[in-house]
Amino acid sequence: MTEPQIRALFTRIADAEPAGSQLDIQLARSRGRARLRRRRAWVAGSSVLAAAAAVVLAVGLGAVRLGSGPALRPAAPSQFNPLVPYLSFGWLPAGDALLAGGVRPEVAYLTAGRTIDSNSNWNVEAYAAGQCHLTGPAGELRCSTEALEGLTARITGRAPAVRGHRAFWAGQYLVWQYARGGWAAVLLPIKYDNPKGSSAARQQARREAARIAAHVRFGVATPPLVFPVQLARLPRPWRVSSVYYLPDAGMLRASRFALGTGNPDLGADGGLEYQTSLPYLLVDPSTPGNDSCGRPATGVINGYRVVVTHQVLSSVNGQHTTTTQGLCAAGADGLTLSIAEHGSAHPPIGVARLFRDHLRLLGTSPANWTREPIR
Amino acid sequence: MSRDRDAEYTEYVAARLPSLRRLAGVLCNDWQLADDLVQATLTRLYVRWGGVRTATHPDAYARAVLVREFIHERRSVWVRRVSLSGRVADSPAAEVDQDAVLDLRAAVAALPARQRATLVLRFYCDLNVDQAAEILGCSPGTVKSQTARALAAVRRTLGPAPAAGSGGQPPAAAEHQVYPGGPGHD
Repeated sequence: MTEPQIRALFTRIADAEPAGSQLDIQLARSRGRARLRRRRAWVAGSSVLAAAAAVVLAVGLGAVRLGSGPALRPAAPSQFNPLVPYLSFGWLPAGDALLAGGVRPEVAYLTAGRTIDSNSNWNVEAYAAGQCHLTGPAGELRCSTEALEGLTARITGRAPAVRGHRAFWAGQYLVWQYARGGWAAVLLPIKYDNPKGSSAARQQARREAARIAAHVRFGVATPPLVFPVQLARLPRPWRVSSVYYLPDAGMLRASRFALGTGNPDLGADGGLEYQTSLPYLLVDPSTPGNDSCGRPATGVINGYRVVVTHQVLSSVNGQHTTTTQGLCAAGADGLTLSIAEHGSAHPPIGVARLFRDHLRLLGTSPANWTREPIR
Repeated sequence: MSRDRDAEYTEYVAARLPSLRRLAGVLCNDWQLADDLVQATLTRLYVRWGGVRTATHPDAYARAVLVREFIHERRSVWVRRVSLSGRVADSPAAEVDQDAVLDLRAAVAALPARQRATLVLRFYCDLNVDQAAEILGCSPGTVKSQTARALAAVRRTLGPAPAAGSGGQPPAAAEHQVYPGGPGHD
């Protein structure tokens, strides 16, 4: 009988599984993130080429030729200061407004629209000098690395110059060199990803993208970036390495931020860069009646009820083990705070100690928020 | 992608790596290819994490992703091999197989990817026809015909008088779960 023999064969093969695989979950995550981003950028595919050509023809006469050589243009920052929002919108379609933004050393970004979860939102990214490279005759703009969620966009056509700077269509992106050595991109809303959608609507979206790009402001004063918590007595090299903020009360309120001492070794996600054993914080005004921690408190620290978690993850054969410490405090002076530290069982300052000895909650009144998250 | 979601993904796949790897090994009959297949599957699971975490049976969903990735990659003759790192894994020591087992192994390895996957789902994962059909994205009738053709092809390859004595105990029953809807390829 063949069937029992085949069963036995499969069992034999499975039992012969060698030890020491090189499977890498972190690699899968970074490739997955890159694929998600590329999917958004490339969906339009070749159809964009023809459309971009049409746009060039339509506005070609109005395009501004470069009047000066690159050497005369200002240089892009070599890196951004996460405590200084670098970008701001100068124009948005009617009804749209700034929804969120963020800064980390390599990139500053903004999201605009009507609601944060909408598929109609606009995203703008500006990369620091040297982060982006235009590759090969086929033309691909690569910014930063996949691990840092960089932009990889295939150039599909020439776009009208943006304030005299060369620009290209790249799938769902309009990319342009906003300063010497620095590239920026407007990502069209996801709803235009559908190649079967209305061509006229996409053309309109591209015109709006070009207008948004032309009015993006770089390095000018923005509303202040403020923090509803303040940290103190931290090791000297620790600093805020990345921030994600929301507009609030005429200011930009930090909703998430991460601390770092150098290059992030855990990559970036959700706009933040992560570093082994260093904390990242999420803090927002609490929603009444909503227990954001999702589980009963495990203790009380400084009079606040907190949930402290400790999670150990092991890869196959125990080759890699990572630990995540977490602390969640809901309704703490009107704020919901979450602190996490990832990657090591023995962080320099554990989450509970950080909350107890190093962190001050500043409440929900904007008047009490601070521009100095670390003092 | 939120940090919580990443942690959730990592926790999930870390716990499933051994079973996914064994399934990939049986499908590929080569452990390096198996690791490549699992690595590609992990990436696909990340992209499709929303579907995995909301599936009624996430393990069945993940298994389906792996099997479909196997069929898809075989169809493209493994031209898009994933490079796990610059280092090539140490090969396991040669097995001491009997001739008959080697012949059977070669016969099964020679099957088209879909037929081989059908046999693996039926006789390694112990899925019934309906469950295998769900994963392969075909009708139960197709699973039956694919199984019959695969067995016939193996018998033809082995010849009229297959050697006895290479049987063994069937593996422990795997989870018998069918997920609603199925993960497809992008």
